[in-house]
Amino acid sequence: MRGAWRVFELSLGEMLWSRRTVFLAIVVGCPVLIAAVIRIVDSLGVVPLRINGQRMDFTAIFGVMIWVLFLRFIVPVLGVFYGTSLIADEVEDKTITYLFTRPIRRSAVLIGKYIAYMVCTTLVVLPGVMLVYFLIVPFNQVAASFSMLITDLALLAVGLAAYGGLFALVGTVMKRPLVVGLVFAFGWEQFALIMPGYVRRFTLMYYIQSLVPHAMPAEGVASLLQAFFTETPSTLTCLVSLAGAIAVSLALAGRVVERREYVLDQ
Amino acid sequence: MQTPALSERSESNGPMITTEHLSKWYGQVSGLNDVTVTVPPGITGLLGPNGAGKSTFMKLVTGQLKPSKGVVRILGEPIWGNPALFHRIGFCPEQDSFYERMTGLGWVTALVTLNGLEPDAATAAAKRGLEAVDLLDAADKKIGAYSKGMRQRVKMAQALAHDPDVLILDEPLSGMDPLMRRRTIRLIREWGRSGKSVLVSSHILHEIESMTSNILLINNGRILAEGNVHQIRELIDTHPHSVFIRAQNTKALARALLVEDGVISMKFEAGAVVVETARPDAFYARLTDMAASGEAGVIDEVTSPDDNLQAVFKYLVKQ
Amino acid sequence: MSPIHDQGYRHYLGEREPHGRAWWVIARSHIVTAMQHRGFRFILLVAWAPFVVRAVQIYVASTNLPVAEFIATTPETFRDFLAQQRLFVFLVTIGQAGLIADDRRTNALQLYLSKPLTRVEYILGKLVPPLAYVLAVTLVPALLLLLLQIVFAGSLAFLRANLFLLPAITLFSIIQALLSAFAILALSSLSKSRRFVSIMYAGVIFFTAAMYQALRGITNSRTWAVISPGEMLDVIANAIFRARAVSPVPVYVAILVVFVIIALSIVILERRIRAVEVVA
Repeated sequence: MRGAWRVFELSLGEMLWSRRTVFLAIVVGCPVLIAAVIRIVDSLGVVPLRINGQRMDFTAIFGVMIWVLFLRFIVPVLGVFYGTSLIADEVEDKTITYLFTRPIRRSAVLIGKYIAYMVCTTLVVLPGVMLVYFLIVPFNQVAASFSMLITDLALLAVGLAAYGGLFALVGTVMKRPLVVGLVFAFGWEQFALIMPGYVRRFTLMYYIQSLVPHAMPAEGVASLLQAFFTETPSTLTCLVSLAGAIAVSLALAGRVVERREYVLDQ
Repeated sequence: MQTPALSERSESNGPMITTEHLSKWYGQVSGLNDVTVTVPPGITGLLGPNGAGKSTFMKLVTGQLKPSKGVVRILGEPIWGNPALFHRIGFCPEQDSFYERMTGLGWVTALVTLNGLEPDAATAAAKRGLEAVDLLDAADKKIGAYSKGMRQRVKMAQALAHDPDVLILDEPLSGMDPLMRRRTIRLIREWGRSGKSVLVSSHILHEIESMTSNILLINNGRILAEGNVHQIRELIDTHPHSVFIRAQNTKALARALLVEDGVISMKFEAGAVVVETARPDAFYARLTDMAASGEAGVIDEVTSPDDNLQAVFKYLVKQ
Repeated sequence: MSPIHDQGYRHYLGEREPHGRAWWVIARSHIVTAMQHRGFRFILLVAWAPFVVRAVQIYVASTNLPVAEFIATTPETFRDFLAQQRLFVFLVTIGQAGLIADDRRTNALQLYLSKPLTRVEYILGKLVPPLAYVLAVTLVPALLLLLLQIVFAGSLAFLRANLFLLPAITLFSIIQALLSAFAILALSSLSKSRRFVSIMYAGVIFFTAAMYQALRGITNSRTWAVISPGEMLDVIANAIFRARAVSPVPVYVAILVVFVIIALSIVILERRIRAVEVVA
């Protein structure tokens, strides 16, 4: 574990200041921008945000943004973009040699980089979520909804951990992990979630969305179908399943990395 | 993760590297073919043209590749899947790749920390390593701003900062200017004298020659020869020995040598005769007599362009 | 003439191609290289699976089976087919992420531009492969479906009744192909890592779609579709295929959005494709 921790210390700085993180910080910044615009528009009273003549509930807006933007998009995308690149980036940059010729197990290198991914992504995402919350939710509603924010933050962290672990495995096994990851997150998961029976249990989103405290917005046929088929597992079941998925993914990924040969392009 | 104290490390008088029937295939392509060698302590040069299998051998020896067949041992232990061995090994890879954002000191310190040293000790070790390669002045500059030679030196610094017993250097002089080359060669010789074992790979013969006479010659994935370059030369007795003789009266010298047994051919060059002989010892003895007696005129210079690595290599590679 | 031949360097004395054809050399080599990848060939093959399904639909619709009237071929059939191919357009485009990034990484860009070819030829040569692949999974199967409709129906009645279909399929496919090709080329010129370019491309596509969904969920308005290139292509497709407009965004706005993206891509390419790096 000490070896993994040392790799984490080395990797965190590289990851935090990489172009990828800057690009994704811009992506995460857009919801903050939307939230700021909503706040400004509402406080100016110029064009009140109303639907069917009813003034919008801001906690509902926050819930929509958490659900649609962060949970259904940003978390899986960060998991794909970072998780698939944990080792692949080092191989492409040809710096993997320095890590694999140290007295550290290769799996410990992977774990260290995974921990760096977790810290990096939570540092990018969670402050953004908090900013969105404080921009959208009026001050007099903060006390009532603060526990929901904490739940959302924890949920997003769990989602990042789960997707990151799964796609770390995909990244070590597949040659084109990015495409496979995107097809899984935005293809298989969308499809499996509307299937009855046990099929949906072979997704991560099934367990993550069961933990969401907000109501799902009806955004189309898929969401309606999902709502129709929903039977929500208990919180404990979800957490245990996600923890199991993370542990198994990382264990398998570590095993692959230990046995694999990395031939660098000359 | 504890770095073994120097006093606890077993003194390695045994071979540095041993391979037994080591082979490596990349699909249908053979990278290394049935290599059985023993690399002794001290400095050993791994020589071969591009595509000979040097990189494959280096990668197998540093545990980056798994042998398709056979075994490779460093300091008596198998290297594949044995990361603990890297406490005692320092590796300077060929590729020019770094964490460009970091300073030289920061990078070397971070890598040395991975060897198990505590942060303060790692910084001190990194500084020693950078000082050894004459890079301490630029230690706080970002690696992205380093010249090619500086990048090569910082690579070497990370290889030796943790004071390993074995240094494996893949093309360490690449990109260095002549002055730095000389200093690095001197440094490698000093490491050898201080008890470290060094395996240096290169395709530039005179560089290896200036570091060591102990070589491994590789071509087409096979070891052509191993050992002392002069001994190897002597063993190649099917290949005639060339002798370059600068003399005042080349015609008279040639007439006198023509009747000698063992002289295979002669060639005239400006003010000199180049003789090929199958019996170098007898030839040198006769030449000494001739020089002493003056029967063939004054002999100014006798050299053998053949008793060097270039000739050995050329001959073996062409086989 | 001397029997001893000169072994020294000899200048090429044969015919040379006229200037302006270098783009084809670049394009051809990329197409050949991409086709050598098994994974890419597999994607191209799978991209034709919807064509097979639609071909069967058109066949059944042309028969006297009771179900035929329910799956009759209409102009919407072709519009929906092209919409379905959007996934494969994404996959074949993202496979071209290294078009310029690889050249930048290996310093080949400077080699290219030290040859007698202009930057325009270089960009054209790089543009042709993604254009070709996108059209291979959109225009070609769609036109073939139209041909199958005529063949199975045994008459030109459908085509005469829907004469606009031929230009509609062609125009929409070209717009979609140009948008995808310019976008991936521009992103590819921004980085030396093809993986990072893939990430940027996927990020832009998915993120704009997610932002639109979020804004639509918040404001209950589809006007936000302007931020999503995918939605704008839908608007254009509905207009070209004379289908019912779902989005309140006017078609000229959608065309403007597409035009702005292509123009921005050209600006990026103009700034990034240089033989030398200008260090301020």
